[in-house]
Amino acid sequence: MLEVRNVSLYYGGICAVNDMSLEVAEGEIVGLIGTNGAGKTSLFNVITGFARASSGTVRFLGRDVTGYSGPRIAQAGMLRTFQTPVGFPKMTVMENMLVFSRADAAARPSIFRGASPARAVLEEAMEFLAIFGLAARAGDWVQDLAAPELKMLEFARAMMAHPKMLLLDEPAAGVNPALQGNLIEHIGALRRRGVTFLVVDHNLRFIRDICDRAYAMADGRLIASGPTGDVLNNPDVIRLYLGGGAGEEAA
Amino acid sequence: MEGILLFAISIGTLAAIYGMVTLALNLETGTGPLWDLGIVSFFGIGAYAYVILTAAPAEGHQHYLYGFGLPMWLGVIGAALAGAVAAWFIGLPSLRLRKEYFLIVTLAFAEVLRQLYINEDWLTNGVAGIYGLEQPLRGLVEARQYTYVLFALAICGLLAVWALTRMISLSAFGRACKALRENEALAITAGIDPRRTSMVLYVLAGAFTAVAGVFYVWYNTLVVPGQFSSDLTFFVWTALIIGGVGSSRGALFGAFIFILLHDSLRFLQVSGETAVTLTSLRTALIGLLLILILRFRPNGIFPETRVVFKLPDRAKAAEGAKRKGLA
Repeated sequence: MLEVRNVSLYYGGICAVNDMSLEVAEGEIVGLIGTNGAGKTSLFNVITGFARASSGTVRFLGRDVTGYSGPRIAQAGMLRTFQTPVGFPKMTVMENMLVFSRADAAARPSIFRGASPARAVLEEAMEFLAIFGLAARAGDWVQDLAAPELKMLEFARAMMAHPKMLLLDEPAAGVNPALQGNLIEHIGALRRRGVTFLVVDHNLRFIRDICDRAYAMADGRLIASGPTGDVLNNPDVIRLYLGGGAGEEAA
Repeated sequence: MEGILLFAISIGTLAAIYGMVTLALNLETGTGPLWDLGIVSFFGIGAYAYVILTAAPAEGHQHYLYGFGLPMWLGVIGAALAGAVAAWFIGLPSLRLRKEYFLIVTLAFAEVLRQLYINEDWLTNGVAGIYGLEQPLRGLVEARQYTYVLFALAICGLLAVWALTRMISLSAFGRACKALRENEALAITAGIDPRRTSMVLYVLAGAFTAVAGVFYVWYNTLVVPGQFSSDLTFFVWTALIIGGVGSSRGALFGAFIFILLHDSLRFLQVSGETAVTLTSLRTALIGLLLILILRFRPNGIFPETRVVFKLPDRAKAAEGAKRKGLA
């Protein structure tokens, strides 16, 4: 589904991503790990059109999407989240959902359409909000949501776009263990609905629990790849995280 | 007594014209992400385009080159188009910039345009301006009653701009503009193109403001470059901040309260010396109101309100989710 081939990204003289390649097959959940500054988010930015690769190619669903803008990538069915959960603060939860809906996207070219969203669209949005425990907040401004609710809203609104692939940037960051369990369940449910995932996170336990395969990065380069367990037990990866110690459990 | 009424109606007409511009600015800044400090550009472009299209050819003492003498309704359409095209041209370079830089560039463009009105005599008759312009429906009533006719026309124009800007801000396109206002990066992940969306919004605001410029010509029966200084932009911003950014009601209220404070003192019959003092006083009054508003109601008299939809039943939604195997 997603093929990244020999992608490099330079910011002036600094190499953020160095000849990085990865693949994600349909229905997979793939992890991308590495310490701060390893280049994970930079790679995310290249894949999702937020940064232009200095070299290399990105293919999505068989199409070369290298150099596509962020909106074009999103329209092609690849959505991303951000390290800090964000929303449109001074819009209601329902408006946040509608902005991501296909119905809104189709109505946008006309400046007057979409003031009264179709019943089916509102019902679909409410169903997704019910799944993520936000139905009661549908009419509230997003600026009034608590951080865990905002995290859930990220998933709920992404579903409105019926994405083929979701790129999650540190979904478990700042999340308590109970909510992490929730996240894992939701990601599993979305996978059963046909969504493919690429997940960046520092929380190796979280990565181990949800990912089929993983890639590890350091200094912008790939240092390990394969089944998640193998990558997490890779001596280079252990050295990277623990500075020479051993044991994934400690992570 | 009739004098007071006529004055009030005249002030009301001016407030309605400012109201149109404030609504257009609210569309850009309240609904969308555009901090436009050059909205007077389109006001001036609309006014001059209308005059050039509808005025009779220049006579001896005037020097503008054109004067097509077209019907007024064509002039209004032409003004709206000119405003839209001007917005497109100004938007091409300036919408590439971030918020604060966009603000500076639009302010600069407004000043460039004012200099153009002053210096391009062949087109605008320079600082002397173009005057003796006709007003719509003028022949229908006697001169004294015309103030009421113009007021009614301005209110119709205001209602039209209010309805259109409201429809736009509530539409899917309006939601995309609000999304850009709130968080551009996130809006991009929703497939919203920031530049294209902002350009459409800017062009629409340009067209609405240009139409308001036509009403301003009807109100004054002349057009001179001095009418289109950046003071007007700041007045409109002040009105919007007083009323409430992001609220149509606030934009309208702000425009009327601003004009009331700014122009009502003109009615007082005082000596020349006192008049100068009062002129300074009105600016101080508006400044004081602005400070009080920012201190005690930072979101304006009528802050932006939530958009309410008739939401489906929550229990049904939960059932629906289960039925589809989502929950």
